[in-house]
Amino acid sequence: MSETANDADFLLSSRGRSEDLGAWVIGAAFGRDGRGCAFSLGDGTLRLASAEGEWRRLEAHDGAALSLVADSESGFLSGGDDGKLLRVSAEGEIAEIADFGMMKWVEHLAAHPSGLRAASVGKTVHLFGKDGAKLKALQHPSTVGGVAFDAKGKRVAAGHYNGASLWFVNSKDDKPRVLPWKGSHQSVAFSPDGTHVVTSMQENALHGWRLTDQQDMRMSGYPTKIRSFSFTAKGRWLATAGADCIVLWPFFAGGPMGKPPVELAGGDSVVCTMVACHPQHEVVAAGFQDGLVLMAEIGSGKIVPVAAPGRGAVSALAWNPAGTQLAFGTETGFAGVVDLSKR
Amino acid sequence: MSETSDTTVPVTVLTGYLGAGKTTLLNRILSENHGKKFAVVINEFGELGVDNDLVIDADEEVFEMNNGCICCTVRGDLVRILGALMKRRGKFDGIIVETTGLANPAPVAQTFFMDEDVKRATRLDAIVTVVDAKNLIARLEDSHEAEEQIAFADVIVLNKMDLVSEQEAAEVERRIKAINPYAEIRRATKSDVPVEAVIGRDAFKLERILEREPDFLESDEHEHNEDVLSMSFEVDQPIDPEKFNAWIGGLLQAKGPDLLRTKGILAYQGDDRRFAFQAVHMIADGDFIGPWKEGDPRKSKIVFIGRNLNRPQLRRGFESCVASQGAA
Repeated sequence: MSETANDADFLLSSRGRSEDLGAWVIGAAFGRDGRGCAFSLGDGTLRLASAEGEWRRLEAHDGAALSLVADSESGFLSGGDDGKLLRVSAEGEIAEIADFGMMKWVEHLAAHPSGLRAASVGKTVHLFGKDGAKLKALQHPSTVGGVAFDAKGKRVAAGHYNGASLWFVNSKDDKPRVLPWKGSHQSVAFSPDGTHVVTSMQENALHGWRLTDQQDMRMSGYPTKIRSFSFTAKGRWLATAGADCIVLWPFFAGGPMGKPPVELAGGDSVVCTMVACHPQHEVVAAGFQDGLVLMAEIGSGKIVPVAAPGRGAVSALAWNPAGTQLAFGTETGFAGVVDLSKR
Repeated sequence: MSETSDTTVPVTVLTGYLGAGKTTLLNRILSENHGKKFAVVINEFGELGVDNDLVIDADEEVFEMNNGCICCTVRGDLVRILGALMKRRGKFDGIIVETTGLANPAPVAQTFFMDEDVKRATRLDAIVTVVDAKNLIARLEDSHEAEEQIAFADVIVLNKMDLVSEQEAAEVERRIKAINPYAEIRRATKSDVPVEAVIGRDAFKLERILEREPDFLESDEHEHNEDVLSMSFEVDQPIDPEKFNAWIGGLLQAKGPDLLRTKGILAYQGDDRRFAFQAVHMIADGDFIGPWKEGDPRKSKIVFIGRNLNRPQLRRGFESCVASQGAA
């Protein structure tokens, strides 16, 4: 056992840095400009992992952090259950963008390189502009389970009960295009080309809509809820967690309708909890319930372990924009960053 | 798998009609010197302020599950809130969820059976219903929810006792017992019940099912079909697990919307352990809970709390689950 564990830890021990952070890792993100790697935690702190191996602690939220994303140009956005939306620079300076008040959870965040930011608080998605100015507040029929911008930053999508709503960011009349489907929808994502919207659901399934003809796509058969899904860079595959392998739905050649998904890195009956697609290549990183982190090349099916099991279920996973570093964190507070660049 | 190493966080659900004294009870629990920290989930239309470090404002969102079963509903907001609270674990010892006065408790209870994340991290400790001794009978006449809150209760705080005579109180208790004889009734004025009476009950643990032997009222006097009633059946002979599963499965499927709570302790043929069973509407849960006590009669018992219960039909159904060997 220890031998395989050591083998699986080869990348982390030879090219990584890791730390026990002592609280549930909610999210991990790298700055869009390539600077800084941040983790947000269930104890309300943020940790910045420097390349030199330093782990800097920032007191961010009075309560728990709920979400973390890379901000528009550099640095990070962090939302907490103290009602605060914070901007954190790569150097660790914290500025408050909004304070929605105690008991108002800032649950889901999205940012676009153009400077747009979206934060969901209850049934409302608040949009902020480049300088942090409040642009608008979009109302939904029930609590929002996830937000996402399309690649161009023209539309923002929100998942909620009985469907998802699409809003044009610059629209004057602010009427959403509602994509209906019975049930409770949570995380939401656009395909990179903007032609599809996918949500994860309360049931163990994903739902998708093809926007051209609003055709529905049901992606089901999962043994657990799908906490994480991610499109590959060019949008050919949708990688998903929620099964005892990485499930990849083909979004080409007429798929995913009527096409079976590809399964990778399966076989040991451990549920995949997180996935993150490489920013350029058809490579997907995955984290599992037992703490295993690995990378899989979709074309060849080749698997490379990154970190061995045994440090808690993987709860956060992120690539840097260049695709040379991978950060991960677990429910029990373990965090690691691995450098995969050529040496 | 390992239910024994219970690291789950207990959740107490407080229900009761507007003005019954729910928030008073909540504040009493929070202010008492028990050294425990609670996270409190309240609804937006709360009557009074709640004084606690961690209060979460919830908007009751009842979601239907996409499994073709109309009574499979969950509280979407609770799924979300409990999931997030688990990430700051260790900061509190328990969670208290206060529902709105008009809430049907079923979606709350079902959330603890239906959602895997909630199930993994929390356990339903008890449903505590606060009722107003003066007004309960009138409420029962005009509201399904008031009946359901009684039917689902593990503990009933019979509040505002200072406003009723002993005779009135006895009548209210009689009505409560006709609906749910298994709930423990605690008389109170200004919700003054000891914290231990409502917190740490573990009432949904299979081991504790039908632990109390109530004075069961076989009240056939006014069985309007629409009224919530409870019925209990016993058999002396061992039960055939396959027959029982087939019967109860079919029954819950067909009558799930009417069956609010079902509980049973069964003696399976050829097994020395007691089998405990419970269901909220169609959602069932069951397991072996340790051996029968030496010398105790191995009687199987099942209790239904619900509407439109057909006594002879249920009795025949349960009796037909008796294992053929040894039976007539």
